[in-house]
Formats: sequence, structure tokens, C-alpha cells
Amino acid sequence: MRGSIRKSHEERLEGIGVCPGVAIGNAFLVDDPRGRVVRVFLPKERLESEILRFREAARAAQAQVKVDIERVRTALGSDHAYILEAHLLMLQDRTLGRQIENFIRVNHANAEWAVRDVTQHLLEVYGQIEDEYLRERGSDIEDVAHRIIKILSGKEQRSLNELADNSIIVADDLLPSVTADLDPRKVLGFVTGIGGWTSHTAIIARSVNIPAVVGVRDITERVRSGETVIIDGSAGTVILNPSPETLLFYTEERQRQRQQALYDIEERELPPITLDNQEIRLRANIELIEEIDTYQRFNAAGVGLYRSEFLYSQAETGQPTEEEQYEAYKFLAGMVGDEGAVVRTFDLGGDKLHLEGFKAERNPAIGMRAIRLSLSVEPVFRTQVRAILRAAAHGDLKILLPFITNVDEVRRAKKIIADVKRQLASEGVAHKENIELGVMIEVPAAVMMAEALARESDFFSLGTNDLIQSLLAVDRGNENVSSLFDPMHPAVLRAIKMVSDAAAKMQIPVNVCGEMASNPAQVILLLGLGLRDLSMTPGAIPAIRRLVRSIKLADAETLAAYVLSLDTPAAVRHYVQTHLNDLGSELLAAAHAG
Amino acid sequence: MQQRTVTITNRLGLHARAAAKLVKLAASYRKSRVTLARSDASHQTADAKSIFSVLLLAATQNTLIEITVEGPDEDLAMEALCRLIADKFGEE
Repeated sequence: MRGSIRKSHEERLEGIGVCPGVAIGNAFLVDDPRGRVVRVFLPKERLESEILRFREAARAAQAQVKVDIERVRTALGSDHAYILEAHLLMLQDRTLGRQIENFIRVNHANAEWAVRDVTQHLLEVYGQIEDEYLRERGSDIEDVAHRIIKILSGKEQRSLNELADNSIIVADDLLPSVTADLDPRKVLGFVTGIGGWTSHTAIIARSVNIPAVVGVRDITERVRSGETVIIDGSAGTVILNPSPETLLFYTEERQRQRQQALYDIEERELPPITLDNQEIRLRANIELIEEIDTYQRFNAAGVGLYRSEFLYSQAETGQPTEEEQYEAYKFLAGMVGDEGAVVRTFDLGGDKLHLEGFKAERNPAIGMRAIRLSLSVEPVFRTQVRAILRAAAHGDLKILLPFITNVDEVRRAKKIIADVKRQLASEGVAHKENIELGVMIEVPAAVMMAEALARESDFFSLGTNDLIQSLLAVDRGNENVSSLFDPMHPAVLRAIKMVSDAAAKMQIPVNVCGEMASNPAQVILLLGLGLRDLSMTPGAIPAIRRLVRSIKLADAETLAAYVLSLDTPAAVRHYVQTHLNDLGSELLAAAHAG
Repeated sequence: MQQRTVTITNRLGLHARAAAKLVKLAASYRKSRVTLARSDASHQTADAKSIFSVLLLAATQNTLIEITVEGPDEDLAMEALCRLIADKFGEE
């Protein structure tokens, strides 16, 4: 009888697809750096052996650190081993050892719990240190605690060197250091328990074009290393224990996608022109300078949005120097050539800039961020403007101001930019004098004021993600209401129409840089509403190029004009879905309204 | 018993690397007791052989620290510790 073998059921989990494509591989779990600790109340007679267990783990941890120190010393020199030296001293510190042993005795605690509790307490004490640099050392304590707990629970961090071929990396969250160590030839996909479109894993996945799904709750609890996992990065689905039928379905789907990728390469030189001869500009959104490879792979017509935030998050101090920024922007300008790149000034909150005395905000999304912060901490903004102006001497860069709600903000920013130019000129530093300045339209106030804003700027960039959130009053991250986030809402379409009309009237170009620009069904609406310039994640360009080449703009305009008269999202969706096929393209059947 | 007051002059203060160096040095004088104390109102003290204790002093640049050494090799120990601090922990 084989009845003892547990027949596992197929399980489908939903997350956020952040890099499209199907991957089928074996799960490789990377542990959460913060770990989880179970509390156990021990009987008195077990306490002494528990203390011995702790001492043994602490000794093993010391041995591990010593090995690490030697390795780092040989590889990088003794100067780089100092943090590990500090870790070793912490492990040898009798104060810590005694406190933990005491905790076990007094609380009848298991060793893991004792280590966690005592180190947490130490961390709290550290949290009160005023000097930020010294306070940061709390992370070393966490690291040391983590190491002991790992040994205690027998869950040693599996070295990424053991990574087998065809692995799908599964983790609660991936640290940048971990992703940097991964061998991309062995990784087929990523799944993480937390994160969103711009989390580190998402960006890395897109830059190497590996399917990824993030925000899959409790994923590390549900899957074990070695198990077969299917991920669909387009749908945001993860499938555990796939049935033979599912496996077959996705194997074929993967085959189809590989074939498609070959077509994409063949088609990359084809111009994005509609059947009735309208050229549509397809540009790339870039987050990391490293992503520029994908930009070339998909033959984008320039960078429509370069998010400068990552320069800030990568800088240790939260603020990259003028030179660091200059080098990055100059590289960008050189890579994109005549097609040009739009550099959006930092869209960050004060916490990210590590500003002294900046208090956490209750609602940072509508708090002191982006242009508001730029105008309130002028020196930081000036540094960025200087770097962009200097880099623009080497290629076609434009400046884009995020989160504009008021014409006055544009005027103030322009004054600062003019002042920085004067300064550069007086210093005799090479820079671009007549740089174009654009305004992000991403809040309802900017939509209402579009004409006035157009008078003050050279171009618009329509950020549909934020606009939909604030227009519909929906927090996408809140699962109770996230389904109300709907690009097909008539209010969204009317707002887009207003912006498109205002820009046409004032004769300035508009680029769409939100996710709508990468969704085929929504792109038809955007084109129908008068937009001709779309910027998207580079991987979406082949599908949108094909779409553009397969429709008549006149049909898209008829469709858009009709749905503008509809009164509910459901009606819009229904109409678009039923008319997709009428537009006469077999490709559209695959596009579907989403 | 030896007692001396010194100023922490390196830019980053008693951070992990500096503290590690100081603790290792203090610990090498096995027979002596080495304590540090902030020469301010708090008068917070630390066992110089415990890295946690030293880090918790949170001694930033320009903090005054009173070093106390007690034991058979106290002269040597005091001399070495003061040199390390005056040397900015070999950092700058």
C-alpha cells in the first residue's frame, strides 16, 4: 500500500507580479535575517542543560565568526574585518552571556527566547543613544543574536554557493547583499513574502529580466527547499505542489514565452506605428542605472522616467554627493544618446534623506515629500539640480518635478534652477543652459490646473499610479480596498482626457509613465484619449509595440470617445473587453482588459 | 591605582571598530581591572573589557572619559590605552 504517502494538493498563492514571465524550478529558501523565535516554558530540571545548550551555541558562533574574519582578511584586508572583530567580542562578552543565562533560569525560558529577549532589551537601550552613527551599531547586536539563534534552532543559513541550477529563490525579504551574491545563471525566479513594485527584489528582477512575484504572505512557511514551484510573474501567481496538468500547462506557456522572446528580438527594430500610420513613442522607465541594459535590449526610444530615488537609498548618508549624482546622470545621458532621458528629482520623504530632527509622519504619502521637501531643504535640491545641469552638457537630459499640486511650486523650483545656472556660469562650470523642465501630473489638483501648469513648463508626465490612488481615494497597499484601484474608472479616464486636452491646447507634449502604459487594453484607451508617448518598464515594450502595430488609431479614438460616456468602471471594462476583438487583431484577444 | 582623564578625538567616537580595538587592548591586561567613566553629569561607567558596556557609553567625538586601571600591570595598561585614544584608534 502506498497510502502512507501524503498526497499534497496544488496550492495557488497571489502576490504582486513585478517582472513578467513563467518560471518553473526548485524552491531555494533564503532565511529571513530577522528570524522567528518560539517561546517555550521549560521545567526546572531542564534549565541547566538549556544553559549548556546556549553556551555551546555561543562557542559555535564564535568559531564561525573567526572563520569569517580569516576569510575577509585574506580577501579584502584586515581593515574590512573590524565589524566581525566587534561581533566576536560581543560573543565573548561575559556581560551578555551572564544576562542570557540568568534569563533562562529566572524565566524558565528556552535559549532562543532568552537570546532574543536580552538582545532586544540591549537594542532598546541602544535606541536611546543620541549619536546616530553609534546608535546604528544596534544592527550589529541584531546580527550577533541572529547568528546564535540560527545555530540553536539548527537552521544554519544555507550558503548561496550551494545554489543548484534551476532555483527559485524564496524569502520573506531579500537583503541587497544577498541578491548581489546570487548567480543569475542559476536563478529562474524570485518569490518574496513582503515588498512591492519598487522593492529591491523587484528592481533586481527586472534588471536581469527574471520572473518575480513579491508580497506573497507567509510564503516561507508554506514551501520547503527543493519543492517544485511555478511562478507566473505576469499574473502575480505562485503555485505550490502543481498537479501534472498545471505543470504541463505552464511548461507549454513557458515554451510559448521563449518563442515570443525570439520574436521580440526579431521585432525590436520595427517602428511602433499604427495601421493608420501614427507613430507612437515607446520609452523606458528606469530605476537603476544598471537597468540601462534592458533599455537597449527592448529598443526603447529614450528614457521617459529615470527615478533618481535609488541614488539616495544607495548612498550611506541618504544623500549622494554632487559628484556621485553627476557621474550617474552623465552615464545615463551617454547611454541614451539623442533619444534623451527625463530625470525626475527625488520623490522621497525626509526619513529617507536621513534629515536631522525629521519626525516620522502619520501619513507620509500626503506629507512632506518630493517637491515639497525639495523646496524646504533647498541645499539638497540644489545639489541635485547642479548635478543634472552639469551632466546635461554631455547629452539630452530633462528635469521632471514630482508631486506638483500648485503652480507656485513650479515657479519656485524654476527660480532655484535659474539661480543654480547662474552660479555654475560664474564658476565657469560646463552645464546645459536651456534645459527642459517638466511637471508630473499625479494629483487631482494638477489635473484641474493643467492649463496653468502647462504655461510654466515644457512637458507633462502623467503618473497614473499615484493619480488613480488619490483620485479614487484608494490605498493600493490596503488589501481591503485595493480592488477599488481601477484604471478603468470613468473618473480616471476623464482626468486623463482633461490632461491630454490641456496639453494639446497649450501645445506641450505629454508622456504617460504609470503602469497603465504597459497594459495593452489600457494603452488602447490612452491612445484613444489622445496620448502618443508612453513610458513603461522595459520588459513591456515588445507587447505594446506589437499592439500599436496591430490597431488603427481611429478605432481606439472611437472606443475611448464611447467609454467616456459610460458611468461605472464595470461598464467601461465590459465595453472594452467585448470590443477588443472587433478592433481586428488576434493579438488583442490575448491582451484582455486587466 | 592609576587614573587619567582623556578626550575622545577621533571623528566617529567610540564606534564599533574603535570600541573593538579598545576592548581587545584592555583585555590583554588580564590581571588589571579597567573602567571607563564619562566625565559629565551622568558619570556613567563602563567595564573596558566588555564591548557592550563600552558601546553603551556612547562616547562621541570630544567626550571626556576618565580611565581607571587597578592591578599589577596598571602602568603599562594606562600608557597603552592613552596612546590608542590619542592615536585616534589609528583611524585618521
